[in-house]
Amino acid sequence: MNDVTAAEARMPNPLAQALWRLGIERDDFAKLTGELGATPKETIYAHGTLKLHHYRPQSDELYRVPVLIVTSLVNQPYILDLSPGQSMVEHLVRQGFDVYLIEWGRPRAEHQHLTLDDYVLDRIPACVARVHDDCGEPDVSIIGYCIGGLLSVMYAALHTDGPLRNLVCMAAPVNSDGLESLKTWMGGHFDEELLLELYGNVPADLVQNALRMLRPFGKLAGAMNLLNNLDKPEFVQSNLRLGKWEADNIPFAAGAFRQMVNDFLRGNKLVQRTWALGGKRVDPSRIRVPFVHLLAEDDHITPYASSRDLVKLVGSKDKQEIIIKGGHVGLVASRGAEKRMWPALSAWLAARST
Amino acid sequence: MKANRPNTAKPAQPVQAVSDPDFKFPSFFAMWRDWIVKSEQQWSENVSKLLKDERAASLIGKQVDEARMMHKMYAEMMQSYLAAANLPSRLDLEWLDERMGRVEDGLAAVQAELVQLRSAVVKAGAASATDAGIVRLPRTRRPSAAKPS
Repeated sequence: MNDVTAAEARMPNPLAQALWRLGIERDDFAKLTGELGATPKETIYAHGTLKLHHYRPQSDELYRVPVLIVTSLVNQPYILDLSPGQSMVEHLVRQGFDVYLIEWGRPRAEHQHLTLDDYVLDRIPACVARVHDDCGEPDVSIIGYCIGGLLSVMYAALHTDGPLRNLVCMAAPVNSDGLESLKTWMGGHFDEELLLELYGNVPADLVQNALRMLRPFGKLAGAMNLLNNLDKPEFVQSNLRLGKWEADNIPFAAGAFRQMVNDFLRGNKLVQRTWALGGKRVDPSRIRVPFVHLLAEDDHITPYASSRDLVKLVGSKDKQEIIIKGGHVGLVASRGAEKRMWPALSAWLAARST
Repeated sequence: MKANRPNTAKPAQPVQAVSDPDFKFPSFFAMWRDWIVKSEQQWSENVSKLLKDERAASLIGKQVDEARMMHKMYAEMMQSYLAAANLPSRLDLEWLDERMGRVEDGLAAVQAELVQLRSAVVKAGAASATDAGIVRLPRTRRPSAAKPS
């Protein structure tokens, strides 16, 4: 045991002590979470902080249409690939899908200028083109999670003649009237310019605290739940992984944050169909590809009131909304997701990916 | 369009008899923690209602702005003291984080270039896909007979 761990061991850490009583060594504590985002992959395209990953196939044959996952701008993408057995990406790969994932990366001071226009009009199309170059297929299905879902809807609405074959959104907020807390906190009295002047981009800890404030006692309840289940190693591991992810937010690029506050939260422009990117109006009714929106029943980050309108706004004939028990994160990464959401997702996609 | 609402009713939990050899008296602290977990949603909802109030939000917003300004000033003031003590400041760590981010992005760019170079070599016929380690699987998979949702 080195000096640091010896010093830590002397500190009254109830969790470490409880783990020790369970026979889990202090030195093994970090290993408990295992490697996060462990599904084998390679980076096939990189531009600035953006990385496009391709997951190695794990089946004998693939569905013809590849899948491109568009992740959130403010959360690490490994929530979709937490660990073996707790990974939506691994599930899709094993089901025979050719999976690509966009990791937006952590914007730095020099990326303050990045706006939603850059993400939707330049970066997603560049990744779609790279997927085409890599696999040779002319079309692609897109899965967008959280803000990634919002970006995917915008991309689909602005590229109706593009290669999009299917669109899947998971907990995508579209109506800011349903985001009551955020809308109030970032109302007229909120000075986003002061914040951006102070920090450049919105710091990750501010993003994290804002999300925590949506459920003020959630962290306390999580800790109590963990203490009550310390005798279940799998529960502890899963909880620590999620805890690690929750504390690992990404700064919000200034330009994109400004648009989210003004155009989305205050203006609610997507629902009103007045949002324009690159001079073009974003109208979800122009989306005609098969569409499904997967939602969580108890989502406190993207409440049902903020997401339910999407299926009505989209102009596709083949459209569906599936509501699954659980919360925002549980929708994609809980044990319930393994039994409910992932099979529903892969069955819906499989029928439309040949 | 249809909403598939699953049946979320929980099955009744069997009650463990005290005569059961595996029976353990529940710990008081465990029961207390369980109560907190069960009450949390209600507490969070109540506090959230308070926080949604325009006046409360405005007041909290001002406090947060002030706290952030103070924090920034304090961090800048401490920087010179920490430098004198040969210790890194928060700003130094942020700078290091940015620098590591640049290195990470640079490595990703190199990896992506190598992958593209490998594909170009195969396309030019200079090497077979197998020799280049590229696995081309047939894209012939069909969904199982089960009806899609």
